[in-house]
Parts: sequence; C-alpha cells; structure tokens
Amino acid sequence: MSDRKAELERKKQKLEQMRKERQEKDKMRKTKETDDIISKSKQAPSQDLRVETEELLRDLGIPPSVDAPFVESSEIKRVASPHENSEVSAIQHHSKPGAKVRTKLTVVKVAETSIPPRESVAYSKETQTVGLEPLEKDAKGPWDYYDDDADTDSMDVVQSPTGMRRMPQVEMVPPLQTQEELDYKEEPPGHILRHKRFIERKRRVRELSDEEKKQILMSEDFQSFFMNTTRLMERALAEEVDIFENILYNSGEGRDDALHAGERLKFNRVFFDERWSKHRLVTSLDWSTQYPELLVASYGINEESPHEPDGVALIWNQKFKKSTPDYIFHCQSAVMSCCFAKFHPNLVVGGTYSGQIVLWDNRVYKRTPIQRTPLSASAHTHPVFCVSVVGTQNAHNLISVSNDGKMCSWSLDMLSQPQDSMELQHKQSKAVAVTSLSFLSGDVNNFVVGSEDCSVYTACRHGSKAGISELFEGHQGPVTGVDCHRVPGQIDFSPYFLTSSFDWSVKLWSAKDQKFIHSFEDNSDYVLDVQWSPIHPALFVSGDANGRLDLWNLNLETEVPTATVNMDTNVALNKCQWHQSGHSIAVGDDMGKISIFDVAEDIANPKSDEWSKFVHTLQELRQHAAEREEDSALAGLSSPLR
Amino acid sequence: MSEVEETLKRIQSHKGVIGIIVVNSEGIPIRTTLDNSTTVQYAGLIHQLAAKARSTVRDIDPQNDLTFVRIRSRKHEIMVAPENDYLLIVIQNPEAA
Repeated sequence: MSDRKAELERKKQKLEQMRKERQEKDKMRKTKETDDIISKSKQAPSQDLRVETEELLRDLGIPPSVDAPFVESSEIKRVASPHENSEVSAIQHHSKPGAKVRTKLTVVKVAETSIPPRESVAYSKETQTVGLEPLEKDAKGPWDYYDDDADTDSMDVVQSPTGMRRMPQVEMVPPLQTQEELDYKEEPPGHILRHKRFIERKRRVRELSDEEKKQILMSEDFQSFFMNTTRLMERALAEEVDIFENILYNSGEGRDDALHAGERLKFNRVFFDERWSKHRLVTSLDWSTQYPELLVASYGINEESPHEPDGVALIWNQKFKKSTPDYIFHCQSAVMSCCFAKFHPNLVVGGTYSGQIVLWDNRVYKRTPIQRTPLSASAHTHPVFCVSVVGTQNAHNLISVSNDGKMCSWSLDMLSQPQDSMELQHKQSKAVAVTSLSFLSGDVNNFVVGSEDCSVYTACRHGSKAGISELFEGHQGPVTGVDCHRVPGQIDFSPYFLTSSFDWSVKLWSAKDQKFIHSFEDNSDYVLDVQWSPIHPALFVSGDANGRLDLWNLNLETEVPTATVNMDTNVALNKCQWHQSGHSIAVGDDMGKISIFDVAEDIANPKSDEWSKFVHTLQELRQHAAEREEDSALAGLSSPLR
Repeated sequence: MSEVEETLKRIQSHKGVIGIIVVNSEGIPIRTTLDNSTTVQYAGLIHQLAAKARSTVRDIDPQNDLTFVRIRSRKHEIMVAPENDYLLIVIQNPEAA
C-alpha cells in the first residue's frame, strides 16, 4: 500500500512539474509575442522577420517553403523537445516534406495512357465555320484574311485534326450480309475468290439424286409453283415492249395504222396451240364475265393424234401477248360445249360427246375434271351440244341439252344427279335433236332451240306447258345456231331471234310470229353460227363454212353485210362469240384456231336513235315478208320450198 | 412428255431465251437447260439475290412479298419468279426477242 502511495505521490509531483513547465512556456510565448510586435515596429532585420513568418505559418499548420528546413530544423527540435510526444510527432509530420526533398530522386516508369477529350457534337445557331476560323487565325491579324497564305490556311482548317474533331464523324457502314455470306467470312476477302469458293461449296453441298428430283417435281408445292411462275414468265417473255428501244416513231407504221383505222373488222390476234388445239374443231367459245380478258374454248377430237385426250378446253388470256393458253384442261371425251360457271370465276363447265358434264377448276393443279356427271339414264346419254348457266348469283342452275332432246338442270354443287330433267318433244312423239340453245333475254324459263330437223322451237322449263311450245319452220337445212336479242334499251326486242342454218342462210324471227321476218341470203356455204351484238340493237355477226365472217348492221343494210372478212385459208368458222364489251369478236374455226377481231368503234357503238331506227327496219322487213307471202300464194305455193 | 417438260420446252423455244433453271429452297438446281457450271453459278447467285430482294420487300412492308425480279444487263435479261420457296429463272437475250 505504502508502495502505491509513494508512486501516486511521485506521479503527482511529476504532474506538478509538467504544469510548471507549461506555465513557464506560456510566459515565454507571451514575452516573445510582445517582443515580436516591438521588433516589427522597429523594422527588424529581414532574416528575423523571415524566421518569424515561417514560425507563424507553422503555427497555423502550413508547411514551410523549400529552403526553410535548413534554418528551422534546429528550431523545431528546440521547440519540440519540451513537449509531450504526441505534439512532437505532429510537428515532425509537418517537417516531413522537407526531409523527402533531401532523399534521392529516381526515374520511375509510369504507364502512360492518353484519353482523348470526349468528342461532343454541339451546334449553335451560328454557322460552324465561324467558330473554327479564329482558332487558326488568332496568330494573324484580320488583315491576313485576303492573303494567299490565309487562303491555304483556311483549306488546312478543314483538314486539321481540330476541325475533324469538331465535325460529326461519318464513316463507311459495312454492308448487310446474309447468313451464307457470314459463313464465309473467315475466308479470304477477295470477291471473286469468295464466289469461287461459294460455288465449290455449293457443288460440295449436295447434288440431288434423280429420285429426289422426281419427288420434288411431283410435290403439290412444286406443281403450283411451276404452273404459276411459268405462266408469269411466258407473259413476261411475250411482252414486246422494249423500254430500251429508241423512241422513234416510224412514219411508215403510222400510215399503216391510218389504213387500218378505216377497217370495220380488224384482225387482232390468234389463239392457237401447236399441241392442244391443232387439228381440233373449235366447238364453243365463252368469255368470262368476271375476268373480261379470259376466253374459254372447247375443242373436239384430234383424229391425227390418237394418244392425246379426245376433249380439250383451253382458257386464253387476251390481256397478254403470250401465245399459249393460261390453263389447259382435258377429258376423255370430245368437249362439244363449254362455258364459265358465271358466278364461280374458277370453274369451267364442259358438255362432252359421251353425255357427261365435266367440271374443271383452275385452282387445282391438274388438267383433268374435278367433277363429272354419271353416265346414266337419269342424265345425258347423247352428246351435250349446249350448256348454259342461268339465274342469279344466289339461285342459278346449269342447263344442259343433249342431242336426243333431253334437257337437264343441275346444281353446280351436286353433279351426281340432275335436279330436274325433261324430254324436249314436239307433239309427244318426235324428239327434238337439239343443236343449239338460247335463253330469251333476262329469262330463265323461256328459251329457243334449233334442231337438226330444220326447225326451230320455243320452249319453257317450268309451268303446266313445260317443254316445246311453238314450232318455227322456214329453214331447209339443219339449224346450226340460235341467238336471242339481248340488248337492253328503251324498246324491248327480246322476242327477236336469229338462226343460222346449213341452207346458206340466216333468218330473223319473232317469237310471236310463226313465219320468219327476213332471210339473209348472201352466203354461198353453210352458215355455222350467228350472234347479236351485246350493245348494238341492229348488229349481228355470222360465220360460214367458207371462212367468211360477216357483220350485219340492219339499220344500214339488210341485203348485204356491212363488213366482211375472208379468212386466208379455207377454214370453216364454227363459232362466233362477241366479247361482252361489244368491241371484239372471237371466231373459232375447224382447224383449232381462234381469231380475235376488233370491230371499228363507229360500227360497234350504237347511236341513240338506233333503237327507233331498228323498229322502223323491222316494220319494213315485215312488209316485205307480207308481200313475199302474197307473191308465193299467187304462185300457188302455200308453203316455202322444202 | 410430262407437263413440266412440255412447258419448259415451250419457254425454251421462245425467241431469245438462253436458258431456264428451276431452283429449290436451298438454291440447288432441280431442272436446267444450261450446262452444269453455268447452272450452279446462276442458281447460287440468283438464289442469294432473290432472298435479299425478298427480305427487302418484306422489311419495307411485312404484308408484302416478292413476286418477280427482272434484271436487265447489257447482254441479257434475267427474270426470276419466286413462289413456294422455289425459283424459276429465265435468261434471255432481249435483243433477239
């Protein structure tokens, strides 16, 4: 315990001593400060002053100037020694930089990186060049502007790196590459080399075996591809317009056109296919109502190539110069009649020699029918010479008449059996051998048929008197064509119809009159077809077996045709079909050619008074007929020569 | 003679037509009227070009698709009709047509 007491005592003494020392030190500082003020006022020597400022600075914690330590080091020690160790260390820390200076300096390698200033593209409202100019020009006065030097300088400005830095950077963008190209990226860049490699690679890839090729060729995908693209390609090939041709108008050509302008019936083009239509009789023609450029034609048998299908139907396109048909259809039996299914733009109906009705669809990539009617007693068993779609969009039927006088009506959705059938008989005994059929304008019930027995009959489909109603005698040979008037207008001419016959004549009739109104006898061969214009009330076309195509305008002339075209080769014009526009006619012959004729506008287009004129013409013709009747009665002949 | 052959022959007989190549989706020729090396070269290059043209058309309007490519050069005209991933290539000399 005493020991401890002694120690405490000793510590207390020490503390006391320390306090004393501090007091002493404070005293010393105070006297020094007063001395300082005195010495300052007395303009003390500069050396002293300097030491003092250094000391003052040190007190404030600011390190001394470079050469100071030499003077101060002793002073520091002097000041530091009486202090406690903590304070000393603090002061030593202050004097450290001085100590460092005295250490040896060595060259140190430092990894140098230069980071270019971030390029910021900013636009002010002023022009950018204004900002650039002073940069380079600041050394020179503004008077240097017009010097030659200055000029070159301003050129340099553009090329100078500072200028470049200020402008937004524009650089080449690598072209996009397909996957295949990317695959070859690792290969040397040479363009041609790459091509060669590519080809080699291709060759290495795979060569399809014959089986594989055959498999592809058979696939439906390929079939549709091939059908469509070849059709497209042929159209492209057939277009004669060469945009690279020099645009020079040949004066001779122009004169040629002028010459043709006077022609009333101008040959336009021919539809003929070496394989499918050669040596085949064109049995019927029909223009599509939905696609006015499409013409379907049916063809008979080609006796010279027994291995080809008997019956063919081709769809031709008038829009393109392509010389091949757009669609080819065929079937086992000769097609005697065909038509577009009117309300189904893709369907084509054909009546065959065997009695079957066949249906083709151009959406299906096969040429054979997609549907056909059965050969049974309930349907046709004789050649079907007439097919026609009558009715409206929502209620229409396919009407077919065969050579034995049987008439069937079908629904296009169901060809397995007819909806309705009827025997066309005159006086319940004699079957009518129908060769041609025409429905009255806008009528689905009443129609006119021409027969092989030289007679023409009117008939109706429904009602108590369904069947043949009236007999029209006058022709002396089988009737080849019948056509009812169907031009709409202020006056209704729907009862009037025309017939063509083997007796070299065309006759005009009215359904209300048993006797023909007029007989056009200008032909010297069988007249094979006749058809009214769809837009002109007094215009019709007829074709004969001698290759003569006649256009009659009854308002102009009733004895001779208004326009006549003789085919170069001696062909029989089996079918004539007006285009619905009334400006062109398709004519099919017995050699498989279909010729398209354009009708001159002044003939094709009716004037407003044509209808009233035609009434007048009809009256005149009737008068002539009455006179002729009287003459023949006087001559003692009660009936026309039979 | 199959329908394909018949059609190819018809096109080939067209005045000015130099050759016809049918190429499948991988750019491999299926049918050709040209010699082997020419066919392979045309098939490979045109296939790439058609793919590029098609993607261009589709990128511009995704509802759209390529239907025909005509390349007019000083010597020839190359016509390409794509469908169902196949290509029909016809090379013609328009001067002769």
